[in-house]
Amino acid sequence: MEKIKRIVIDNISKKFMIGYSNNMGALARFVSLFSGKEPKRLIHALENLSFDVSSGEIVGIIGNNGSGKSTLVRIIAGIYYPDGGRVITKGKIISLINLIVGLKERLTMKENIFLVGSLFGMSQEEIKKEFNNIVEFSELKEFVNTKIYQFSAGMMQRLAFSIAVSAKPDILLLDEVFEVGDEDFKKKSVDKIRKIVEDGACVVLVSHDLPLVEKYCDRVIWIKEDKSLIKGEPNKVVSQYKED
Amino acid sequence: MVGKKYFKNFFELSLSLAKAEFKLRNEGSYLGIFWYLLNPLLVFGLLLLVFSDRLGNDISQYPLYLLLGVVMFNFFQSSTVESVTSVLKENRWLIKSINFPRESLVASIVLKNLFSHFFEIIFFMIFIVFFKASIIGILYYLPILIFFCSFVFGVSLFLASLTAYFVDLENIWSFAVRLLWLGTPIFYAIDGQTKLYYVNLFNPLYYFITVARDLIVYAKMPDVSIIFGMIFYTLLSFFAGVLVFNTLKIKFAEKI
Repeated sequence: MEKIKRIVIDNISKKFMIGYSNNMGALARFVSLFSGKEPKRLIHALENLSFDVSSGEIVGIIGNNGSGKSTLVRIIAGIYYPDGGRVITKGKIISLINLIVGLKERLTMKENIFLVGSLFGMSQEEIKKEFNNIVEFSELKEFVNTKIYQFSAGMMQRLAFSIAVSAKPDILLLDEVFEVGDEDFKKKSVDKIRKIVEDGACVVLVSHDLPLVEKYCDRVIWIKEDKSLIKGEPNKVVSQYKED
Repeated sequence: MVGKKYFKNFFELSLSLAKAEFKLRNEGSYLGIFWYLLNPLLVFGLLLLVFSDRLGNDISQYPLYLLLGVVMFNFFQSSTVESVTSVLKENRWLIKSINFPRESLVASIVLKNLFSHFFEIIFFMIFIVFFKASIIGILYYLPILIFFCSFVFGVSLFLASLTAYFVDLENIWSFAVRLLWLGTPIFYAIDGQTKLYYVNLFNPLYYFITVARDLIVYAKMPDVSIIFGMIFYTLLSFFAGVLVFNTLKIKFAEKI
């Protein structure tokens, strides 16, 4: 299959203003217009980052907490807009960033599949068609009509992941998804990821699970504290990261 | 047809969100939908009791006049207030995690309230029969409702997007709604009060409620200027709402 560049990240930067301004009321905002003083702090989450991801690739992203991994994933997903640079993506993007998200605890698993499926951009027909696959893959058949507040974190992860891969992504963004699941499901998920990647998709995997990253990713990108990137072979980058 | 598919998916998503919201609200509640009816009906009953002899005495068909005003205002109020209080606040993690069309969160609130509005209208129809007014007039409500929904959707979009920037909009809006409730001729009539009339020319709700009352309760054609006013405020609210929401939505995920 011919390789296409699914994600092109071209020199992007992202800044955040941290301050009181986010929680200001209308009156306070009005007053500060005149006083002109507003305590603020500028945080550079990402600076001049460039890389790309082609179809058929699993790219791992590692780095310490607060290094900007999730910000990067959100920028690829189109949730955040970069302050500088460009992001070009080709194909349908599915992002699993915070697992509990989207799932409504007081609804049943079945209702959740329909809700989250449509959040992932699936039509009702598509969800109906995929429904059995989702249930089967998650191995939660006997809980279809159970409200999911009774689910464990691992079960929710199974459910969320199963819906995400059924949504037929071209670009699958996984942010710390495998941190709660058991080994069997992890193995099964990775096999599934391999399969969709072989069919022409690409996967960006953010994880603190270094053995997982080392074993399954084709390339690894490490975002360092000073916002520079170390890119390359999984075993090399991971061992460098461990030494740091 | 990319556009058509987009709108179909958008509508399905909004409907899914509305259904989920509806189920969550009514979980374990035996009265279910009647809780929604209870509020406007109690308000209606109380106002009828208090005003029908004095204020409503010179308004013909006062119960119908009053009930239609109350349920229309209630649809506007519950949709906009929910948009201010819940859209961005309750869905912040969802917004930070998945890039779905944000407008559907507002659309789902309008749809959900439209659903309970539907029951209020059925109740209103029972009243029409009871007071022996013409039931045919209610057919006019469908086109009016299309305008009214677009108007409410626009206002809700506008308000919801501003909540990312002003945290106390919630309080401001609940105050504004109370002023609107008193300023709009819902339980009284405007006849002959010039000052009030001029103020109400700037009150969009006045147009919608007047058109609906003229056509449904009194079976007469509303003033052309009132119809134009209704269309004008619908377009203004819808396009301003969409424009403002669209401009501000790219910052939602960071601001909340």
